[in-house]
Amino acid sequence: MVQLRPRASRAPASAEAMVDESQPASEEEAEHGLLLGQPSSGAAAEPLEEDEEGEDDFDDEAPEELTFASAQAEAREEERRVRETVRRDKTLLKEKRKRREELFIEQKKRKLLPDTILEKLTTASQTSIKKSPAKLKEVNLQKKNEECEKGSDSKKVKVQKVQSVSQNKSYVALRLKDQDLRDSRQQAAQAFIHNSLYGPGTNRTTVNKFMSLANKRLPVKKAAAQFLNNAWGTQKKQNAKKFKRRWVIRKMKTPRK
Amino acid sequence: MGEFKVHRVRFFNYVPSGIRCVAYNNQSNRLAVSRTDGTVEIYNLSANYFQEKFFPGHESRATEALCWAAGQRLFSAGLNGEIIEYDLQALNIKYAVDAFGGPIWSMTASPSGSQLLVGCEDGSVKLFQITPDKIQFERNFDRQKSRILSLSWHPSGTHIAAGSIDYITVFDVKSGSTIHKMTVDRQYMGASKRKCIVWGVVFLSDGTVISVDSAGKVQFWDSATGTLVKNHLISNADVLSIAVADHEDSFVVGTAEGTVFHFQLVPVTSNSSEKQWVRTKPFQHHTHDVRAVAHSPTALISGGTDTHLVIRPLMEKIEVKNYDAALRKITFPHRRLISCSKRRQLLLFQFAHHLELWRLGSTVATGKNGDTLPLSKNADHLLHLKTKGPENIICSCISPCGSWIAYSTASRFFLCRLNYDQDNISLKRVSKMPAFLHSALHILFSEDSAKLFVASNQGSLHVMQLLEGSFKHLHTFQPPSGGNLVTGHRESLGGHIWQMKTLELHCTVPAYNFPVTALAIAPNTNNLVLAHSDQQVFEYSIPDKQYTEWSRTIQKQGFHQVWLQRDTPITHISFHPKRPMHILLHDAYMFCIIDKSLPLLFLDLLDEKTLVAVERPLDDIIAQLPPPIKKKKFGT
Repeated sequence: MVQLRPRASRAPASAEAMVDESQPASEEEAEHGLLLGQPSSGAAAEPLEEDEEGEDDFDDEAPEELTFASAQAEAREEERRVRETVRRDKTLLKEKRKRREELFIEQKKRKLLPDTILEKLTTASQTSIKKSPAKLKEVNLQKKNEECEKGSDSKKVKVQKVQSVSQNKSYVALRLKDQDLRDSRQQAAQAFIHNSLYGPGTNRTTVNKFMSLANKRLPVKKAAAQFLNNAWGTQKKQNAKKFKRRWVIRKMKTPRK
Repeated sequence: MGEFKVHRVRFFNYVPSGIRCVAYNNQSNRLAVSRTDGTVEIYNLSANYFQEKFFPGHESRATEALCWAAGQRLFSAGLNGEIIEYDLQALNIKYAVDAFGGPIWSMTASPSGSQLLVGCEDGSVKLFQITPDKIQFERNFDRQKSRILSLSWHPSGTHIAAGSIDYITVFDVKSGSTIHKMTVDRQYMGASKRKCIVWGVVFLSDGTVISVDSAGKVQFWDSATGTLVKNHLISNADVLSIAVADHEDSFVVGTAEGTVFHFQLVPVTSNSSEKQWVRTKPFQHHTHDVRAVAHSPTALISGGTDTHLVIRPLMEKIEVKNYDAALRKITFPHRRLISCSKRRQLLLFQFAHHLELWRLGSTVATGKNGDTLPLSKNADHLLHLKTKGPENIICSCISPCGSWIAYSTASRFFLCRLNYDQDNISLKRVSKMPAFLHSALHILFSEDSAKLFVASNQGSLHVMQLLEGSFKHLHTFQPPSGGNLVTGHRESLGGHIWQMKTLELHCTVPAYNFPVTALAIAPNTNNLVLAHSDQQVFEYSIPDKQYTEWSRTIQKQGFHQVWLQRDTPITHISFHPKRPMHILLHDAYMFCIIDKSLPLLFLDLLDEKTLVAVERPLDDIIAQLPPPIKKKKFGT
């Protein structure tokens, strides 16, 4: 706040430097003049505002008198200006936001179904399945439409049916979020039961071994039920077949001597 | 007798799906069985264990629980989180209600039959009220930390036991709060890292809770104090299911090794009043996990991953010791999966989601009886037709001339036209189906392949005319109220026969107590031959509208004992074109020719499941099942 300014030297070259520095300092001082009272440091009391005067005799001049009132007025001006700018900014932002909201609403409206269908859906949710005689456009009703759920209970009703007589089609409106949840739960349940019956820790064996157990205990021991593993080494067998074919062709090509 | 060249077909790779749940209905003596592909079958145990109805499966329906409630209503719940009620008259699904608890693991009906309880993945137990046309959510019980895998009501309806992972909870029904939480040991006398899953609980009327878990233990708990009373270690592998009899003096458990144990309440000494539970009989009828058991008043029923349904009557409960008292093993479905086109020697195989068309191989060699002739031309796999969508195929048929294939799922009907040119085959689907043709229970082509009969599940029969490129609806038969179906459908109790030319009701075959398992009309003599589930065979003459002479004499004499003792129903009847006196029939184990001129039958035993000699050795099926538990045998 109170900055120690370099003492005004007699050298003229540094006068501008000093003068430049002093301007912001003096403004600050003026603002905080109310708080700090008179500038306390001695260096600040130096006459640094005499920019109009020439460099020659600013030393001898007395500092300009700055009344308290003027300083106060200036401070108030500053504040007012700042407040104005802030208000303007705020209003600008507000307008921007308003415009954006409107734009979004427009887009959403365009995206949603026409009102006729929505009406029908909400009325259909109260009475079970209603035949609507009006024509319905071919719309994909599986989109997430929250408006649809207005008329129905909060989370209970997930599926609504609307039947249109003219086109002989029936629509079912589903919330995709719920369907995913349901599927994931069902999968988790199936994974649970698979793990508990066939997972690690259960004492399971293969069907082949199970059926061969009897063969092993016969007085004349027989082989296992599925003794050959036909899927063994398929890649090797395929490679061998290819090689054999190529070799035979090569042999045929070269003339026998 | 006649000589035949028998085509032994072994390339039908049919693997039945494993049994997941079994529910026994005491009042009607019926058994509902649900499989892993979502099919639900209903067996009539009094009609010689005949499978009378079935609901086709669906890919998304993984049923985990099945129960009968409120009389004759059947409910199932599965991992898709929905409770489904089945309409037994119309043979379709009445409705599906989402329980909003995630996948449902268990379901049970209250002793009064008016409430339904489900145990869900998120640990909540939900109570539903059964209203005359639907079910309604009533309230939730206290939520538990882990999934509820098994439920049981106390016979008085005041308490509920719920088995979860590592513990069992006892709830009070009125308030919905937990009374006791009983921790289950992870291993019998020891510690283990694997959590103990309580697969089944049963609540007895004296307050005892019996639980079976994945450590192989059967434990008896006292629900009043919440303490363990008795502990039985019966297996090294999981014990997967438990069912108790109505009188609460015996129960049955099934293990993952395929063993079924019978526990009985016997007095401690011969004349004391104190009783204790003793493990009496082990049965090893299964090779893989036994995931469902049921206890009827006279028999133990078990089913599991090896796809067999085994019904073991208990000797002490049977009064009359006749053939009924033997073991029944139901392996193959009691409906037709194969149809044949005689002229072109094609076979159409029906699987759950696709159809396969094969041409039979031919041979030019000749030989004596019993020789195996070498094939000069191998069987050809002509067509692999996949269905779109998650539903299973209900029925399919190929026309005798081989140019039409029709099949149906639960919601749609498909008809395709085949064109043959030299050795190539091209398929074209007939796209526009009439609106009333949704799903068919049975499809049949007429002999000249010009007409198609479709039996829909609303009880009406549609007749279509097949023309070159398209087909057109000719007539719809509506049976008068009471009658079910017509020629080609096996479920009718009283059949109606319509005259094809004049399209009007011709006559009615008198009803019989037992359902019909197969019927066919002889081409030359126009006689209708019916086989019923109690192994009776009737022949009915259509022009004369009465039973034929032969049939009457047979009835008077009665069938031979051996014939009546066969346990699998007759699935198919066909006729030899040149010998009108012969009727060919077959069931799962036997193929026989009835010669009407001889006083009795001629039995010609062949291998398993012969339908135009298609064999399905059981070993092949076992080879494609999921892995079984390892059994350590000495010396291996």
